[in-house]
Amino acid sequence: MARIFGIDLGTTNSLIAAMEDGAPRVIASRETGKALLPSVVAIAPDGAVTVGERAIEMEPHLTVERDGKVSAVGYPGGEYGAVIRSVKRYMGLGGDELAPEDRARYTFTDVTGPVVRFQIGKRVFTPSQISAEILRALKDTAERALADHEREKVERVVITVPAYFNDGQRQATKDSGRLAGLEVVRLVNEPTAASLAYGLNKLATGNVAVYDFGGGTFDISILSIKEGIFEVLATNGDTHLGGDDIDRALVDWLLSELPETVKLDRHVWNSARMAAEDAKKLLTDLSETEIVVELPGHTVRKNLNRDNLEKIAEPLIARTLKRCELALADAKLKAADIDAIVLVGGSTRMPIVRQRVAKMFHREPLCSIDPDQVVALGAAVQASVLMGNQGDMLLLDVVPLSLGIETMGGVMERLIHRNTTIPTSVTEGFTTAVDNQTHVDVHVLQGERELAKDCRSLARFKLGPIQSQPAGVPRIEVTFLIDANGILNVNARDERTGREHSVDVKPSYGLTDDEIERMLEEAIDLGEQDLEERLLISSRNDAEQILGALRKQLGEYGALVDRSERARMDEVAERLEAARQGTDRELIAKLVEELNEITTPFAERIMDAAIKLALEKKSVEDLA
Amino acid sequence: MIECLSCGRRQEPRLICADCGAPLSASLDSFAALELPRKLSIDLAALERIYHDLSRKIHPDRFASRDARIRDASLRATALLTRSYRTLRDPTQRGLYWLELNGEKLSENNKRVPAELAELVFEVQEQLTSMHDASPDSALIADVEKRRIELQATMDETVAELERNFNRWDRVSPEIPDQDRKMLTTELKAILSKIAYIRTLIRDVDRALENSKAA
Repeated sequence: MARIFGIDLGTTNSLIAAMEDGAPRVIASRETGKALLPSVVAIAPDGAVTVGERAIEMEPHLTVERDGKVSAVGYPGGEYGAVIRSVKRYMGLGGDELAPEDRARYTFTDVTGPVVRFQIGKRVFTPSQISAEILRALKDTAERALADHEREKVERVVITVPAYFNDGQRQATKDSGRLAGLEVVRLVNEPTAASLAYGLNKLATGNVAVYDFGGGTFDISILSIKEGIFEVLATNGDTHLGGDDIDRALVDWLLSELPETVKLDRHVWNSARMAAEDAKKLLTDLSETEIVVELPGHTVRKNLNRDNLEKIAEPLIARTLKRCELALADAKLKAADIDAIVLVGGSTRMPIVRQRVAKMFHREPLCSIDPDQVVALGAAVQASVLMGNQGDMLLLDVVPLSLGIETMGGVMERLIHRNTTIPTSVTEGFTTAVDNQTHVDVHVLQGERELAKDCRSLARFKLGPIQSQPAGVPRIEVTFLIDANGILNVNARDERTGREHSVDVKPSYGLTDDEIERMLEEAIDLGEQDLEERLLISSRNDAEQILGALRKQLGEYGALVDRSERARMDEVAERLEAARQGTDRELIAKLVEELNEITTPFAERIMDAAIKLALEKKSVEDLA
Repeated sequence: MIECLSCGRRQEPRLICADCGAPLSASLDSFAALELPRKLSIDLAALERIYHDLSRKIHPDRFASRDARIRDASLRATALLTRSYRTLRDPTQRGLYWLELNGEKLSENNKRVPAELAELVFEVQEQLTSMHDASPDSALIADVEKRRIELQATMDETVAELERNFNRWDRVSPEIPDQDRKMLTTELKAILSKIAYIRTLIRDVDRALENSKAA
């Protein structure tokens, strides 16, 4: 049987993993040697897609040119092409749920409909389509890495989601798998996956808390592990709380002296964000660092020490700890009952986070598995469970949010309580309120609030047609079933006739089946090429990029290369130019690498010259 | 009788086919789903073992590569299993469910305040009214928080009392005299409605405390 792969589709980074010789392993890219793929998708005005490190290079930002001038580069959004990062934040969101700051960052076509839609080039993309590009890139990475082993294909996958993802967010994740041409065998909650990765050998029996503080989301899950059964007792979280928020707070502080219009400029904002993120990471080991953002005609220069950073992070950490308390209460446990704490997610690298978590649970957290990889490794373990290779090991997860229906007076009646083990189902009887009523409307909600208007609308459906009868006589039984992915399924049965009613559930948010079908067709229309063809295009793009860059550099800095060096560059560039017209992907890749190698010293000289120039300019300014 | 989708064997409704071990989508009461007699006294450790054991056998994770019909049967069987386990694990829910299976119900007129709770109910209502009226001061909030702890203690005691008597009520059966049966079920109903009442009070107190925090 073909292997099932495990995918961590993260806010900041994504990974793919699989079991190998009885142990889960992440699969590194053959080209970059890295397993972490930044969850960044660049879409050019003509629709060409780039994912990962190279997409980051295309993000709008400011760069210092040779003459010291600061210029704006990258895709600024809308018709000029865009670079989407943290697309996970938009999964399952309705257009009306976008915050003003989202609209400052990206261009959207629809801010009222049931799905967020990005306007990029001449096309419109939903978050599921953008995520599908990340999944495709992971699939390609794995298939290229495994090409030597009998050309194994990636077709069936387990994808992880934040435990606190609601029905719409889960559905959107599943849709993205489908759009990437993958069969999503199971969605697994990230903290639970992490516990599986540790569970293979490090945890025996007892209560475990998994604290998962990632780039965009926070989850806490409390599990009881007993004889191979991983039973989630309670979960809580916030799907819009993560390291991104610390970066944003840092940007606000960095740019606080600037006028609002400058601050919101996508190039300025993103340059500041990059600088802030770098500084945050440096402060894991250093106690102080300097942040510099070069703006046209102005340089922002601020010192950030660990105390400042911690002050900014503190309120966010406090919010995570509050969620931990709620989860403990739902699990009917006290902090002292927890036998082990597992740390997951890049944000748990911050020393202050570790300290606070240790203090709350009165014990040192476990972090022996790389917090960036542990979720993907766990997904691979779950994939192995699904293939029947892990003996008695079994995961029993829960639904994070209560599910109910709207009743008279706009009150939410809970049918399935949060933290109920899944799969689970409940059957509810419905009847008519007036004589000869032909339909009954049902509004399904998810959330913990008492009033329907404060909960999230999940779906609406109509029961019927119902035979003409006096009010209260018809009895229709509706079964609400939440599957092992945490996704709702509904079916209805007329109790008198025993006939199954087809229920046309209209999701309040997200894509309809028809829309997904259309997107799949569209993808085929657009020339959904096979892997080989896509790889060829990708290597041609690489060639074009390096040739273009070289031409530009030789134009500006031609004086920095000597004659023989120049001759070698021209020769390889010419061969690459010719290869680029052909279809030999491997030859193109080889020449790109060769050209890259021989131009590296040149690129270093350019960098030195640019810095020297910038410094000279600086000292002139200082004198003046 | 139901038929196994995997091997075709016709059998008494269960969650697992007696022949081939495939999941069966049967409609069963919670006791039958967990293969237990309809008794109120249940050893929780044993209940958990049965639940885990059955889960290992019928969970959808075990049938991920089987055809859609078997996957669906596994999904439905497991949904029924987890729901049944949750019902039986909780003594109060188990009591209510058992009453229902025996054709009894906590009737609407049971909403009358149980006599032994009358004083407590009166005091709580008074506190909550004053919480509602003015913006409550911290002393009042502290009082209500203290009350919340007391109510939880009362709840725990009452549930413990319920569990202590499960053995006695398990004697209820068509074989014993009508009069005894009536007496035993009336007792069980009285204690269950007391629990329902305390639960309502706790919910009201929680709401009031939450509102005072929000304000």
